[in-house]
Amino acid sequence: MLDDLTRGCINLHAILRNLEDLCDLDPDARGIIMNKNLSILFAAKSIPPALLVFAKGKCKMTRGTGHHDIKLFFKSPQHFNRMIDGLASPIPLKGFTKISFLTGEFSKLAERLAYFLKPTPQLLEDERYSEINTILTAYTAFYALAEIGNNDPIGKLNAARIADGTVGIRVLNGGPEISLIAKGGKLEIKKGIEPEARAFMTFDSLDTASGILNGGLDSYACIGNGSLEIKGYIPMVDNMNKLLAQVAAYLK
Amino acid sequence: METYKYTKSREYFNRALKVIPAGIYGHLGPAEGCFIPVAAFPFFSQKAQGAYFWDVDGNRFIDYMCAYGPNVLGYNDADVDAAALKQLEMGNCVTSPSPIMVELAELLVDTVAMADWVFFAKNGGDVTSLALMTARAATGRSKVILIKGGYHGVAPWTQKLGYPGITEADVINNIYVEWNNYNQLEAAVKENTGQIACLMATPYHHPVFEDNKLPDVGYWQKVRKLCTDQGIVLAIDDVRCGFRLDVAGSDNYFGFKADLICFCKALANGWNLSALCGIDALKEAVSSVMYTGSYWLSAMPFAAAIATLSKLKKLNGPQVMQATGKQLTAGLQKIAANYGFDLAISGVPSLFYMRIANDDSLLLHQEWVAECVKRGIFFTNHHNQFINLALTNEDIEFTHQVADEAFQAVKKRHPEVG
Repeated sequence: MLDDLTRGCINLHAILRNLEDLCDLDPDARGIIMNKNLSILFAAKSIPPALLVFAKGKCKMTRGTGHHDIKLFFKSPQHFNRMIDGLASPIPLKGFTKISFLTGEFSKLAERLAYFLKPTPQLLEDERYSEINTILTAYTAFYALAEIGNNDPIGKLNAARIADGTVGIRVLNGGPEISLIAKGGKLEIKKGIEPEARAFMTFDSLDTASGILNGGLDSYACIGNGSLEIKGYIPMVDNMNKLLAQVAAYLK
Repeated sequence: METYKYTKSREYFNRALKVIPAGIYGHLGPAEGCFIPVAAFPFFSQKAQGAYFWDVDGNRFIDYMCAYGPNVLGYNDADVDAAALKQLEMGNCVTSPSPIMVELAELLVDTVAMADWVFFAKNGGDVTSLALMTARAATGRSKVILIKGGYHGVAPWTQKLGYPGITEADVINNIYVEWNNYNQLEAAVKENTGQIACLMATPYHHPVFEDNKLPDVGYWQKVRKLCTDQGIVLAIDDVRCGFRLDVAGSDNYFGFKADLICFCKALANGWNLSALCGIDALKEAVSSVMYTGSYWLSAMPFAAAIATLSKLKKLNGPQVMQATGKQLTAGLQKIAANYGFDLAISGVPSLFYMRIANDDSLLLHQEWVAECVKRGIFFTNHHNQFINLALTNEDIEFTHQVADEAFQAVKKRHPEVG
């Protein structure tokens, strides 16, 4: 059963978070925000806040609060999730004069993000599309994994079984590097590989990562044929994979 | 020394992937079996004899996994296989069981110190589940105390909430305590007075990926008394250790008496058989449990088990295997130290666990194991190893030679170690 709070955290900290990578990877997205300098605080009840900053043609999302031009409030995780599903509107608490950004540029960015996160077989035939889709899917999956481990009742059990330390996740040949850091059953995701990782999960290509994360490839078969390598303190990877299995249900 | 190549193994694996989930599923496969890196490991065997198996590419391995335990006398032991084949000539899977079943039950009751009766099945998990059901039938209680990190098979109750296919209902009656922590166990019993049917544990703690731990002095005796006082059935899962510590049972080895004990692996030297042994007081309860299987009373494995147990007793098997394990591991530790590696050995020597302890990630250990496997010594990097009685001094010497070369290879890549 899907948990509303977990879904809300994923929507904010795993899916919307992708806007920063989208603006790096996609020239069209970058064009939309080119001359925009403003910040939005997403404040949904029970969900840790997130600050989205657009400046100098870049987008940066951070967990927590800070200076913001627009503040969007949501009464509950359900309210936030309904906004993501296009069924509800946020309650603006600050920045009424800048609301046009939300209905204009931000809305276009969100559409662009949905375009890259909802692939079709035809779209995936385009090499650049496929590359961007895989990178964003990988970030979404692993950031979502941490939210599930920190919030979902079953996910918390699996997160608690991950020994303290870092799992380094690599997608070779042009893919991202991600660190999952576990401490006392709490999970955190960082871009890049921590030097002292205790375990590693390495996809040999963007295609393998895309296949496994989009559900087209069997990860066990990939371990067997070497296209997915795991090594180090395997119980960490094993329990992380159980969380990864929950990700698909939340991202449906 | 030239390292092995696995061309045919890979060809078979690619075929397997098309028609078998994961190609090879379970603990013999590359994922669960922790083949790290997979390129270092063979996937399919062609034949086996004594302490060795040969893969489909013709590479020979001294096999320290022993099919994860069943190979205790040596693969294709002539006496065991002759007994099984002789039984086959008379009958195997028949509507009425063969009297050889009675002969094996009598032999086990005479051999296993605590046993008053024996119930046969096929796999270790069959009899751990039966042990739990028997305890519940006998006590009318639901809960079971298990040791954190313990392994009792793959039935839903042995797994954890959050694992694929497992529901809360499957594990709701499980209570977990730490190994060797008597106070925690006593507190758990107190908190659940009158509700605990069974305490199930292995005779010593042999989880994967961790140093194995023997029982503290007096631990089992205190546990035994607690179970007796509280009406809790004490079930020992001797599936892995059975007949490698003591032919009379591993409870006997550690100086206590279990109420139920589960055997499999070494019981029939690779012929498919498991057994639950129990005390008289639980005989009626086990009889009342509806529990059976299509092949559980097939006769060939019974004949194989009689030959295996007889030979283990005659050869003083457990003591010999422990001595061999000590000889092997002492040499490995010495060689490791020459290169600055700290090879930690734990558990009982006949099924020792080892890991390079210079890092906390097992990365160095995985590299070293891979180098050994590529040179014909089959170790695993996550699980305890197994000794069998077919190993010779020459095999141990060859193992030490390979280990030396493997440490050399790892040291070359990690000159900073040690």
